[in-house]
Amino acid sequence: MLNEYRQRFINESLQLILLDNDSVVVASDNSIFHVAQGESITELHPFFESVPSLIESETKVFKFLCIHLSLQGDFRIVDISISKEEPHAVLVIHDLTEHYESYQSAAQARNESVIKTELTVIKNNELEERERFKNLFIQNFSHEIRNPLTSIVAIANILSDTSLTDQQRKMLDFLQESNAALKLMLEDILSLGAIESGKLHLQEKPFDLTKLFRLLEFTYKTKTKQKNIELVAVFDERIPDFVEGDRLRLYQILTNLLDNALKYTDSGKISFSLSFNQKWANKVSIRFEVADTGVGIPEESLESIFESFTQLDVGQNKDGSGLGLAIVKGLLELMGSKIKVTSQVGQGSVFYFDLLLKYPLHPVQEALKGSTSPIQGDIKRKAKDKVNLLVVEDDERIQTLILKTLVDAEFFNVDILNDGADVLKELVNNQYNIILMDVDLPNISGDHLTRLIREFPFKNIKNIPIIGLTANAFNEQITSYLASGMNKVLTKPFEKEDLIKAILRVLR
Amino acid sequence: MHRSKKLVVLGHFGVGKTSLIRRFVSDVFSDKYKVTIGVHITKKVVEISAGNSVSLILWDLEGTDDITTIRNSYLLGTHGAVFVFDVTRPSTFQNLNEDLKVVAEKLRSVPIIVVGNKMDLVDANDLITVLGENDIAYDFLSSAKTGSAVEDLFYKMATLLQEDA
Repeated sequence: MLNEYRQRFINESLQLILLDNDSVVVASDNSIFHVAQGESITELHPFFESVPSLIESETKVFKFLCIHLSLQGDFRIVDISISKEEPHAVLVIHDLTEHYESYQSAAQARNESVIKTELTVIKNNELEERERFKNLFIQNFSHEIRNPLTSIVAIANILSDTSLTDQQRKMLDFLQESNAALKLMLEDILSLGAIESGKLHLQEKPFDLTKLFRLLEFTYKTKTKQKNIELVAVFDERIPDFVEGDRLRLYQILTNLLDNALKYTDSGKISFSLSFNQKWANKVSIRFEVADTGVGIPEESLESIFESFTQLDVGQNKDGSGLGLAIVKGLLELMGSKIKVTSQVGQGSVFYFDLLLKYPLHPVQEALKGSTSPIQGDIKRKAKDKVNLLVVEDDERIQTLILKTLVDAEFFNVDILNDGADVLKELVNNQYNIILMDVDLPNISGDHLTRLIREFPFKNIKNIPIIGLTANAFNEQITSYLASGMNKVLTKPFEKEDLIKAILRVLR
Repeated sequence: MHRSKKLVVLGHFGVGKTSLIRRFVSDVFSDKYKVTIGVHITKKVVEISAGNSVSLILWDLEGTDDITTIRNSYLLGTHGAVFVFDVTRPSTFQNLNEDLKVVAEKLRSVPIIVVGNKMDLVDANDLITVLGENDIAYDFLSSAKTGSAVEDLFYKMATLLQEDA
């Protein structure tokens, strides 16, 4: 009985071939492949071409596992053993196709997974490297562009104070508008660079949210009126007046959303609302929403509009860097929130987000309400005598701006040095009340020079207020300049009002 | 004169050993990756010069990331070896020199040709820099997809085997 089963189940998967010493087939049971007697085994398949040398060798038994044989239109995966039984060699072919095919599936899944993981890691590394390069490029680009932009702004400002014909005035207005747009675009690029490189740190300070809302309402009422569309602004009264957070960045988010609505809406209205979600002991959840009746966004673009340099193709050229919504997305992620959008083409769009903000429990609100700007008051009140000011700046265009601004203010004696190496000698020989110091000087950096001044043995020199001037706008860099001993840092391009305010701030 | 020579093609999995052989033997290519288990054996006659040819018996071995695990039975009677790595995956060549030492131990006095495959996917200058930095010496940079250097590498091996005969 067992022999019968053996015959059925084992013999079907085993083939025995008897060979002579010249690898010629003496006999074969042909249970898998047909092998003719008298045929050389080497003719059967390239695998068997090695058989003669194996028979000639001294080793008695050879085993080959998992050999793919394709013979007479039949394909099998087999184990093959060759045993020398003088005067013959016995070749046993064991068909294990089913077994090896199941192993093949497992190996396929494993190898594909390993390769995919490896290629993903490589791709991610490449993307990170590109991102690093991009951020470095933005940083350098912003630095390089700020100096010439400062000069353009400065010269335009100086020109605006001269007598001009109507035509020249119109052209100058256009130039100043373009400057302002370019400056905003540069700020956008810098903001995005800072967000993506993780260099942007949010402030956590109490501020008047109603005041921010009213400011935006006022600003955009004017802008919508110019386009003959309506602005509906709603502030939920249950929201506390004062909250804690980064006012500047929230302002940036909302202006980007409102600018966007304005850009893509030619008729109808824009709704801007802040509504109360929920309140806890010292936290409040607020929904900010900007809705418009503009062109709307196709469903397939709802994700991509938040990518950098993306603008909706509405068949007309729209101004802007295409960074606004990317900045909104990045800033909200930093704030632990997420921008959401619903839209219908031809009907309009609704952008909204929920923000969890702390609100102060104590009367800090009153203190803030009653406070006035620390830079209020004029130069006359702060400085009884004329202020002696040393400007250390190698860029002649910046020198011109500073000189013009300060001379117009009439309360400054101004000395200018091009070379940082001369500063210490100048400070010993003259009495200065303030130093305006460019950070990127040719021979010695401004922050290094500041450190030297702060270590000076004479109090009247080491305590002179220093205002740094720089084209490097990232927080990290500004913090390091302040750490060197600078009292204030102005980033280029700056307006003359910024300069005067900074001077007033450091004047004692 | 005509001789048969056994040539093993080995290297890590997924580097394109099977694709190189298919391109060489049948002049075909498929982007679809199919894992080789065990060994596939094919044959191609290479004509070195008039009346002088070599039958290459090509043993396409299952790829492995640990070259020491190759079955010794597959290497019996080998006359030459082609070691293939994937130029897009550093894991397949970062230990190349150690892998080649293992192969040389297993296949004493046998010519070995080292091939970087999938050249169509990378920039040649970048690759050469990377390989140089990693002290990787290679004989051919090939692409089974485009066929680049495929004939050359097998012809080179056939020539070496004929000289050895």
